[in-house]
Amino acid sequence: MDINAVKTQISQEIGNIITPEKLEEFRVKYLGRKGVVTQLTGFIPSLPPEERASFGQQVNALKNQILSLISEKQNSFTSNIEERVESTDMDFPGIAQELGHLHPLTQVTSEICDIFIRLGFSVVEGPEVETEYNNFTGLNIPLEHPSRDVFDTFYLKTQEKLLLRSHTSPVQIRMMKAHKPPLAVVVPGRVYRPDAVDASHSFMFHQIEGFMVAEEIKFSDLKGVLGAFARAVFGEDIKMRFRPHFFPFTEPSAEVDISCIICKGKGCSVCGRKGWLEILGSGMIHPNVFKHVGYDPKKYTGFAFGMGVERIAMLKYGINDIRLFFENDLRFLKQF
Amino acid sequence: MKVTYNWLKDFVSIKLKPQALADKLTMAGLEVVSLEEKSGDWVFEIEITSNRPDWLSVIGIAREIAAITGSKLKAPDKTPFKAQKGKLADLKIEIHDKKDCYLYSAKIIEGVKVEASPEWLRKRLESIGCRSVNNIVDITNYILFTFGEPLHAFDLDKLAAGQIIVRRAKSNEKFSAIDGSEKTLNPEILVIADKNKALAAAGIMGGKDSEVGFATRNILLEAAVFNPIVMRRGRQKLGFSTESSYRFERGIDIEIVEPASIAAAALIQEIAGGNCRLAKSSGIPKLKKKSIALDISRMNSVLGTDISLLEAKRDLGNLGFQVKQKAAHNLSVTIPSHRADVNLEVDLIEEVARIFGYDRIPQSLPCVRTQVLLNPQRDFIDLVRQTLVGLGLNEAITYTLTDKSLLESFIGPDEPPAIEILNPLSQDQEILRPHLIPSLARCIAYNLNQKEEYINIFEISHVFSGDKASVKEGTFLGIGLCGSRAMLMRQGLVRDEVSLLHLKGILESLFMRVGIKDYAFSAINAQATAISIGKEPVGLMLKLRKAALDRLQIKNKDVFALELSLEKMFKHVNLDKTFQGLPRYPAIVRDTSIIVREGTAVKELLAAMQEKGQPLLRQARIVDYYQGQQIPPGTKSITISCLYRSDDKTLTEAEINPLHSAVCRVLTERFSAKMR
Repeated sequence: MDINAVKTQISQEIGNIITPEKLEEFRVKYLGRKGVVTQLTGFIPSLPPEERASFGQQVNALKNQILSLISEKQNSFTSNIEERVESTDMDFPGIAQELGHLHPLTQVTSEICDIFIRLGFSVVEGPEVETEYNNFTGLNIPLEHPSRDVFDTFYLKTQEKLLLRSHTSPVQIRMMKAHKPPLAVVVPGRVYRPDAVDASHSFMFHQIEGFMVAEEIKFSDLKGVLGAFARAVFGEDIKMRFRPHFFPFTEPSAEVDISCIICKGKGCSVCGRKGWLEILGSGMIHPNVFKHVGYDPKKYTGFAFGMGVERIAMLKYGINDIRLFFENDLRFLKQF
Repeated sequence: MKVTYNWLKDFVSIKLKPQALADKLTMAGLEVVSLEEKSGDWVFEIEITSNRPDWLSVIGIAREIAAITGSKLKAPDKTPFKAQKGKLADLKIEIHDKKDCYLYSAKIIEGVKVEASPEWLRKRLESIGCRSVNNIVDITNYILFTFGEPLHAFDLDKLAAGQIIVRRAKSNEKFSAIDGSEKTLNPEILVIADKNKALAAAGIMGGKDSEVGFATRNILLEAAVFNPIVMRRGRQKLGFSTESSYRFERGIDIEIVEPASIAAAALIQEIAGGNCRLAKSSGIPKLKKKSIALDISRMNSVLGTDISLLEAKRDLGNLGFQVKQKAAHNLSVTIPSHRADVNLEVDLIEEVARIFGYDRIPQSLPCVRTQVLLNPQRDFIDLVRQTLVGLGLNEAITYTLTDKSLLESFIGPDEPPAIEILNPLSQDQEILRPHLIPSLARCIAYNLNQKEEYINIFEISHVFSGDKASVKEGTFLGIGLCGSRAMLMRQGLVRDEVSLLHLKGILESLFMRVGIKDYAFSAINAQATAISIGKEPVGLMLKLRKAALDRLQIKNKDVFALELSLEKMFKHVNLDKTFQGLPRYPAIVRDTSIIVREGTAVKELLAAMQEKGQPLLRQARIVDYYQGQQIPPGTKSITISCLYRSDDKTLTEAEINPLHSAVCRVLTERFSAKMR
């Protein structure tokens, strides 16, 4: 067999190959177990000894040439495939299942709870139907007193002395009765007040309550913890101020404002030109509350705070109507 | 409470500009909600907390300004009042129950000339939004706002002579109020009466019959203190609140009554003329001044501050407390009559902190090792939420209160009644919901109206049930599906119409995620399927009935929904995982298509195949199904894929073929299946 004739044949054939299948046929024909190169190698023993070495070298060279031709061809196929990928029109929509969305109130609640978890608080929940005692009396709110006016309450018709909790604070009473200090707890949940519904009022809304009780808890600790919370939710630059206020279950009591996140404190329509936004109520737990749960008010002190989740979500996302949270319009929910 | 800059200046010298004063007041707990310039004066609107009735007066606020700015309060004249003539016996004051009325003071002024008020008085009242009536009524209002003590003037000549009776109203007693309305009273309401009839709803509103008008010549000026709880109930019964009742409900400083009454009488004589002929009081209680000890080191440890004893002493003194030092760190503080809100050491601590300034208290972080209270059920619920969102569902939050009629279109007549609300504001708040599905269906109806084509929502919330005495609250998951999901694929737009199987698929994914295996779905009827875990019923899924769809005006759409108890589900959660070795030898797959009767329990059929094919048959699952015209009616076609594998070797066809035939024979012999 003439090696040079084989070489000519190879260069002709390889030029005509356009598919990987044909290339494989080509490889089998020349390099396969019964292929041309094997046949050529088979001739070697029949040659005179002096020709064997040079013929062997020629066969080897031929084999290497075929291998490199095949690999070259292979590369040309691969680069053709790549070109085809590039030809996908990326203006067409991607294909994937749409993700669902957590309700914005759930997202804000988780975010807030997570901050307090990092500060050492535990998350607990409580029932929405409460006793008059846990909702009022235990929290030092006398039943017939103007301080109750802000806590207008839904009562149940046939179940005496049961009501829909008007704040998350009754969980303070439950937790303190069940556990001894030190205690640090946050309580998210739904609360109810018979308010006429409008853009900023709802008869059902969400609160997050928090409290910490131990020996030597100070008012300055309350400021520090809420400061850390405000910076985490609203950013490092946020300013905070504590104003004296009145809550029956804390003394001293404070309302907490943050610098307006819209105008940065200059005064705008959102903050009523005051530059400040009220976001939560807080204070040192009243000794009478400790007496109700059987804690010694001389030994323990503690702070408590409560905030409206809707209010914070509305500020954070720029939502202007509280009713949107409960309409559950998918066009609303899918924005979060 | 509205008050003006100049009015305050009558009682305290103020160097601050109005805006700076407003900021100071806000930071001391008197939140100024608006500040407005009005005819040469500035009007402050201040939100007064319910514990500080003493701030419902110009003098009260002036006292606070004196304390926070370090200036002196110009106290009102307290010289005893001398009636010019007349015998005390001329007027009899009869208080039926001293618990209803602690003090009743009356002055009789004869020969007044009732006319329009002088301009300064009219302007001052109008600046705080109080309508000018006539000089006498305006003076009582002016004193009310200045001193915080509500006064009332009666036309003396309209009273049956010589008697004021403070008593409870009789049942159905009629009374014509000063605003012209007719009121029907009851014994919860306290009245001022003569011997014939009720003249005024005490502390709340005067009567038409004894009103001071331009013809009035002689007046009886009332200054009293009524029981706050009686005032509160009376106001609730009558259904309206006045400047007077608002103050009586919060408590009146008994020591301000006489100075207010004297100031009013003096002003009446100055402006309207006349002579005060008689002054008489009844029921003056003995006052006991309380003293409270304040430990300065305790105060600083509660606040986290370093305030000196001298500073605390000075600030409390400026607020009108009498302070004596008892020891190096101890003060004894006597509480003035206008501070009924101060009862404990912490109340004094707050007073010192307020004047010191909350903004000057440092920030610190508590050094406490708190207990870690694990809440695995909450973690589980978070996982449920995350999983459902991952499956593409959107979370809704709907009202826990709902209307009876909506619920009734969903439930059967044998369900126990839902828990009712005593005082709903509207029909939508009649009951506490026992189910989530009606609320989710309403939410779907809302979104259909917004032209949504695919609605997939869930909610996690409490639902309520109970009997006459108690209420059971459970945490439930509800899911609602409606419409069809359109996905643009390479082969074109694929529309996927929702069905009960979509609900089933969501639950199966969820159960798998939380390690629940022994769940079952069993049809209750054509529309409802029970969900159970380990034989325990946990919930229900269904296609909504027409009655429910009609109630929500959902037309031409099917709605599928489920609800299940997360507490029951939680008991079966198993998040433990153990690694299973990966198969070392390849598997052989055989697909078999069969036709079986509708109603054949496929779950049992698959189980029978698994049993027969043990141990090499690793999995038998449905990969296709068909019901329709190409097969006989009353049958369904199923394609089952069987996967055979050995852990020890590569299986050959020769080993598998007879086994697969045996497995298929189970189908024909036990389930009368026909091979396709």
